[in-house]
Amino acid sequence: MKELLRNAIGRGQKALSEFDSKRLITMAGFPVSRNDLARTREEAVAIAERLGFPVVLKGCSDTLTHKTEMGMVKLKLKTVSEVAEAYDEITGKGARLDGVLVQEWIEGDKREFVVGLTRDPQFGPCVMFGLGGIFTEALRDVSFRIAPLSEMDAEEMIDEIQTRKLLGEFRGSPAVDRAELVKALMGIGRLGLENDEIAEIDINPLIVDGDKPVAVDALVILAAPKAGAKIA
Amino acid sequence: MTDMRKIFYPESIAVVGATENLFKWGSYIFTNILAGGFGGKVYPVTKSKDTIYGHRAYGSLTGIEGPVDLVFITTPAASVMGVLADCVEKGVKQVVLITSGFSETGEEGVRLEEEMASFARANGIAVVGPNTMGIVNTAAGLYATGSQVRAPKGGISIIAQSGNVGNQIMEWAEQQNIGIGKFVGSGNEGVLGCEDYVAYFGDDPDTTVVLMYIEGVDDGRRFMEAARGAGMKKPVIALKAGRTEMGSRAAASHTGAMAGSFKTYESALRQSGVILVKAPTELLTISSAFDSMPLPKGNRVGVVTLGGGWGVITADECEERGLALPPLPDDVFKKLDSMLPPFWSRGNPVDLVGQPSIELFKESMNSMVSSEAYDAVILLGMVGAGKFVLRIHESAAHMGYYSYDKLEELRQIFDERQSNFLDNIIELMEKYDKPIYPVALISSPGDEMIHYKKGSGYKAIIYKTPEEAVFCLEKQYEYYRYRNRRTTGRQ
Repeated sequence: MKELLRNAIGRGQKALSEFDSKRLITMAGFPVSRNDLARTREEAVAIAERLGFPVVLKGCSDTLTHKTEMGMVKLKLKTVSEVAEAYDEITGKGARLDGVLVQEWIEGDKREFVVGLTRDPQFGPCVMFGLGGIFTEALRDVSFRIAPLSEMDAEEMIDEIQTRKLLGEFRGSPAVDRAELVKALMGIGRLGLENDEIAEIDINPLIVDGDKPVAVDALVILAAPKAGAKIA
Repeated sequence: MTDMRKIFYPESIAVVGATENLFKWGSYIFTNILAGGFGGKVYPVTKSKDTIYGHRAYGSLTGIEGPVDLVFITTPAASVMGVLADCVEKGVKQVVLITSGFSETGEEGVRLEEEMASFARANGIAVVGPNTMGIVNTAAGLYATGSQVRAPKGGISIIAQSGNVGNQIMEWAEQQNIGIGKFVGSGNEGVLGCEDYVAYFGDDPDTTVVLMYIEGVDDGRRFMEAARGAGMKKPVIALKAGRTEMGSRAAASHTGAMAGSFKTYESALRQSGVILVKAPTELLTISSAFDSMPLPKGNRVGVVTLGGGWGVITADECEERGLALPPLPDDVFKKLDSMLPPFWSRGNPVDLVGQPSIELFKESMNSMVSSEAYDAVILLGMVGAGKFVLRIHESAAHMGYYSYDKLEELRQIFDERQSNFLDNIIELMEKYDKPIYPVALISSPGDEMIHYKKGSGYKAIIYKTPEEAVFCLEKQYEYYRYRNRRTTGRQ
């Protein structure tokens, strides 16, 4: 984990790519969609076949923001030829990429949440949880807790959001596995507490697959070298 | 570890900068301590006069023969280091530094405050302030703030990062006869900070509730630890100023404390078990509820009302605040049904439909409080009902159809009846260990707002509105649940 962070900082990166961000949060026990990085069209197809169709392809780099707006995200690809075509399209845009992320397609049930980590000058690392997806910023239905989080803290922050009813049984979908969610939130808190190299984390959206919460996108912002030194 | 107790329970006090100029801090503090009835020794220290308000003055601290437990410094900032050197020589370990002109004024002030703080720390001197309004300890008869407020003795202890706000809260407490334990204006917190006071008040046996007005804390994590520790022992109620962006700019310029984002503070406080409120008046209202009543052990509320409208409003308020109004259990239903007129509500809220019979009301109250089905009871309207009847007679007396002598007699009868009724409420709270919230039908300025009963630690608070009663109940339940979860480890 430390190696991943230090190497990135050593290379002068300001953030981790989606692939590395997901690797990092996985190490902290956060549930993440299955994916792998392809550097050739053939690799992309092989990964897709291994994961099973449909899949999602995304351009992957630590400098890439606004992937969707740049046409770097191709959803629900059902065949080998669709994957090959999407790969060519993404790599043909001229952006500098680490590769193309091939990710399993999770249908989900439209319930989207957000999990984040920020640093406060007085309190240090804070974990955020709330309503995710496209309404995150408009509705700001989020709660915070200071790391480390006890199980009780995590439970209480989940119950604090206005839209908490979405976590129960909802329109034919089962209730979200709370234990899993609690574990994930506690993991993000520990990650922030133990790694000063991390400035912020955005996991949005966290979607619900059956009853399991799964991160389908993640971004880890790195602290400028030295800046994290004072944080306890 | 600092001996905080000596700050609040000194046996001897010196006021450096004492003066007979009524409008100087050296006079405010000195006169307040003496007029407030402090029982220990008080020495004025000044070079300019031989006596201050008839008390022998000393040219310096070191000239005082006896020991000095606590020193108030009111002289200008430039003189403070010299006075602290005298404190060291005299062996003084506790100082309240009233003087302003430190970190709140800019760079030079920041430097001076750092110098003062490191000198104090090196010499083991506990300093309140600088730039503080002062301290109060009603149990020791010590009133040592700039304003001459005389809040009555009690268990609510106040930590205020703004002297004015703290002072205003004590003024309200005085008006409403709410008992205050200790007060500290934390000022710039050069040496002692909010976290030290909250830890001390948490341990202090004379404090039942800790009330805080916060603008910002320097070390969030230390503060959380202190608040969490205190919160497991007694309720800690806080108002964090700077909810809006404009508010937080004002807070930053006011005390020099850096105010972090409000949402983070709110979360940190909640995570530490602190009960949050939004207005200074709520601070006192909620603190008083915690100080006066047992905690509800659940969210099931029983309501007894003299009229339907109030019952509905109360039910709405309860529902919105996560409290439940379970239906009447069979035994309570049968009992009430045998007693009440046939048109009673036959449910919870128990609506007596305007029957102002104190006996019926008492019976209904007893049935609800004693029932296993309820954790708390709200009473709407019996308190103040006497006044309602009295006013009818008043009008009759004005018209010449009732005698003023009889009116006075009637007033006394109603006063006594109400007093007995409130005693009865306190007895029930003791017997069943449940809170009871009476809401007045009519209350006028000058009316008793909090009822004390000799020999009981509980008090009956007379609420003006149902929403205020429900608000207090909600916060008390929130605290009970927080603490219970952490004690039992269960959700």
